[in-house]
Amino acid sequence: MSPPKNPNLHSSKLANELILSLVVLGVLALLPAFVQSPYWLGVLIVSMYFAIMSSGWNLLAGYAGQFSLAPAAFAMLGGYSTGLFFYHLKAPLWIGLPMAIIIPGIIGLVLGRIVLRLSGAYLALTTLSFAEIMRLIIYNSIDFTRGDQGLNVPGLLDDRLAYYYIFLVSLAIVVGLVYWILRMPLGRFLQALRDDEIGAASRGVNVVRCKTIAFFVSCAICGFAGGLYGTFARLVSPELGLIAQTGLVIAMVVIGGMGTLVGPLIGALLVYTASEFLRDVGGIQMIVFSFLVIIFARYFREGLWGLVRRGFDRRGGRGPGGGQPPDGRSNLAAKRGA
Amino acid sequence: MLALDLFVNGLIIGLYYALMAVGLSMIFGILKVVNFAHGEFYMVGAYAYTLISLNLGVSPWLALPIAAAAGGAIGWLTERWLMRPLYTGYGSWGLMKDEYAVVVTFGLSLLLINLFDKVIGPYPMRGPALSDVTRMSIGPFMMSGHKLITAGLAIVLIVGLALFIKRSLWGRQIQAVAQNRLGASIAGIDTARASCIVFVASGVLAAIAGALLAPVINPAPDVGIFPAIKSYVIVVIGGMGSIPGSIVAALILGVLESFGAVYLSYDYRDTYGLVLLILILLFRPQGLFGERSREV
Amino acid sequence: MRQLRYVLAALAAGVFSTAGHAQSTEPITIGVSIAQSPPGSVVQGTQVKDGVEIIAKILNDGGGVLGRPLKIVYEDNQGIPEKGRAAVEKLISRDKVVALTGGHQSSVCLAEIDVAHRYKVPYINTNCWSDDIRTKGYPEVFNPGNYNTRVSSAMAETIAALKVKNVVAFAENTDYGIGQAKVLAEFLKKMAPDTNYKYVALDRAGKDFTPAVLPLRANPPDMVVNIMLPPAAYILMNQLYEQGVAPSAKTWFYDGAGIADYPDFWQNVKEAGKYMLAFGLYHPQMPMPELGQKVAKIYQEQAKHEPNRLIFQAADSVLLIARAIEQAKSTDSAAMIKALQDMQFEGVRGKFSFSKEPGYGFQQWVDIPYVTYQLTEVNQPLSKTTLIQATGQPLQTDKLVKPSN
Repeated sequence: MSPPKNPNLHSSKLANELILSLVVLGVLALLPAFVQSPYWLGVLIVSMYFAIMSSGWNLLAGYAGQFSLAPAAFAMLGGYSTGLFFYHLKAPLWIGLPMAIIIPGIIGLVLGRIVLRLSGAYLALTTLSFAEIMRLIIYNSIDFTRGDQGLNVPGLLDDRLAYYYIFLVSLAIVVGLVYWILRMPLGRFLQALRDDEIGAASRGVNVVRCKTIAFFVSCAICGFAGGLYGTFARLVSPELGLIAQTGLVIAMVVIGGMGTLVGPLIGALLVYTASEFLRDVGGIQMIVFSFLVIIFARYFREGLWGLVRRGFDRRGGRGPGGGQPPDGRSNLAAKRGA
Repeated sequence: MLALDLFVNGLIIGLYYALMAVGLSMIFGILKVVNFAHGEFYMVGAYAYTLISLNLGVSPWLALPIAAAAGGAIGWLTERWLMRPLYTGYGSWGLMKDEYAVVVTFGLSLLLINLFDKVIGPYPMRGPALSDVTRMSIGPFMMSGHKLITAGLAIVLIVGLALFIKRSLWGRQIQAVAQNRLGASIAGIDTARASCIVFVASGVLAAIAGALLAPVINPAPDVGIFPAIKSYVIVVIGGMGSIPGSIVAALILGVLESFGAVYLSYDYRDTYGLVLLILILLFRPQGLFGERSREV
Repeated sequence: MRQLRYVLAALAAGVFSTAGHAQSTEPITIGVSIAQSPPGSVVQGTQVKDGVEIIAKILNDGGGVLGRPLKIVYEDNQGIPEKGRAAVEKLISRDKVVALTGGHQSSVCLAEIDVAHRYKVPYINTNCWSDDIRTKGYPEVFNPGNYNTRVSSAMAETIAALKVKNVVAFAENTDYGIGQAKVLAEFLKKMAPDTNYKYVALDRAGKDFTPAVLPLRANPPDMVVNIMLPPAAYILMNQLYEQGVAPSAKTWFYDGAGIADYPDFWQNVKEAGKYMLAFGLYHPQMPMPELGQKVAKIYQEQAKHEPNRLIFQAADSVLLIARAIEQAKSTDSAAMIKALQDMQFEGVRGKFSFSKEPGYGFQQWVDIPYVTYQLTEVNQPLSKTTLIQATGQPLQTDKLVKPSN
């Protein structure tokens, strides 16, 4: 088989995405020089919370093909891990925050095992039910979790600017983690899993192990986002786990570009900050975004990042995939659709 | 007697659930996807019924079919605009077929909720009852006149639907497409029209369910989310694509929740169905009445 | 004076209260966080807004406060603590309000006062009843409204006087609901030790409470107590009535959430509301100062409906802020807080000052007046209801009636 024009299609595409992610992170790092209002810093912090969650979910759904509807529930679990450790045991944050990573990760592992043999609509429904059960348990266990009233979580520090950089560094770590996973063989196995599970298994990919790891890492990342957010807002409530929040995450990733490293970043930042702008205009932000989600899903599958990249490709430039299917995925995916 | 009261109450709730769930089941049967905007068909029906009878001064009995038509219209639009790509073939897109359906219907759900929230306002309204009798006794049971009428209507509609699918020409075409789309089209059946009918019927039934419950649930934009989750549970338990399955599962769920709320725990009554769902998916994924094969 | 302004602004950068601006006609901004969409209690939020608007207009027509007009900024917290927190953060950091008010749902208030406390902005608690808000002891928080201990002690007195044996309370699963249910339990233990009492927590977003009501049909108690807000309260009442549980010949129905005077009460409950006993904070037969009567009249003309307590409490909240600014002669937070702590306030409901006792009475109008009354006809306006207990008077339970079946 003659070698394709670009032998390292996957990693050079990934490298481009990494570069762009670093650019985005760099811009974020410099923003406080121009944005000083604590209100807008707060908005950016929350969008970084969503960016972390979106990156975690994108790993599971965009790269591993496990379309889970539970990311918000895991963020809620993370926030509550920190909150409950503080509320009942008065544990300090250096115990509480790691708990926000470990506990949702383990529960995610369990969920991964439950949905091992499921896919498509069944997977979505099971994860949805799981998420709702988690939320309802927290909502109704009033004596344990204070239910709807929420839990107070101590803050890490008082300075909003410092919080901004904590979130930024966390986001960078998460993006780095996802990149690192994708560079490893595990990364290719996950994508093989997404494109054709049977084919991958027949080539020796350990499907069980890959799915389990994907769930663990993804849910741990979502939990981490939730724990961080809890210390920022100083309050966690079952609100965090609403299906509507998952909807937001899905919207962000779809609009930004599913299955890409930088898609969740752009998606989260754009969607959330724009929604704050639009809120002032008249509260139509959700209408606009859900409409965009439909349009993007229907007509522009690769999201914004995909559009940008196609713009480069069309110029016949050095971009990867010139002449090949946009994402370099096998055409096996197309055959499944009919 | 408490147990009997709970049983009857559970059956009545189950009937409402069934109205909502059969449409979802049909959609899955024919397209093999889940419609996440189903709750919003219900919401649209509830709003149409309430607004038309309150603002236009129309009798609730007239508002009901209009609400049904509204649901049907949304169902039709959804199928025409969003669902067609699923079977008119598409290339190497980024999203897989199932995920596409989930994302697109999710997006539609969010869009409808927020659109109604913005245009009509989030204030809960009170739909008019179909009967002014607020309290009457039927044998040992007490219920409102409206409850009695709606239960009766639900039974009529469900039986009517079942007969339609089993006996009528279009119904049998729908069955054929559900069993084997390619084969059905080779046999000359218009598969696109079958899908269209299914979506319209689904919208109509969900809208009627919403309208009938309007006096109780106080229509608000987010009123469809919970019934939708219940519907998913029912459809999976009953067997995706099986109408009798969803009816039976709906009744079972209604009774289970009713008894569970009193004898187990009232707070967690919404989790019983969800737990049952997970158990069914693990041990008998085809549900009670579904076919053995399922998507891989 | 420009340099002075920049220096002041720099000093105030860390504290998000408004520094004293030199401008004299710049409006004074007050932040109001209310529920204007579900699952919050929209009817309450609307009443609070109405009351705020009426008093703001009265004040502005009279020349404003310290010669500056009042500007009210509203935020919708949807009755959700997380959204309340975000709303208050926005009001403080973006709109730079001098004070916050409007809170009418306890769980939200609890989340909001933490933010107010962190930024040291005065917070006037319009209608959150949970005792926890007071026991926290935040100096920024002032409570001119009702509190759970007050309601529960009043209700326990009534229950003891009626000598009922079995009481079941339905409480919403919020700080307010559970809080009041628990305090009521304590008071009943003291004042009516022979009465069996239990409470059931219900989801305020629930649509069907029949499973909770049916067991009562099998075993009717002597009294059902309501500690829920609309719309759930209306659904509960309708279903209690539909199943013949309450109000009935055997079972009283006693409302402890003050819902009888909401504008949408009768259209939602119809016959289910007849014979209901109610704890009320406002009744047309209560003595009221002139300003209060003026507010009542304006509301009656605008809304074509009798006012309810929320209107007056909201008016008092804004009035308190205005008086604090006038007494402190500035909009500086610390000065306003000091003024509020020491002042003798004359509002639309009467004269009072805030208690300094720690606990449930901290910075609270402890002797807030209340009445107990019974609704005897469908669509009955407040003025025609039977007053069982006038303000500060003993109970007259012989005036109560029961349905015949």
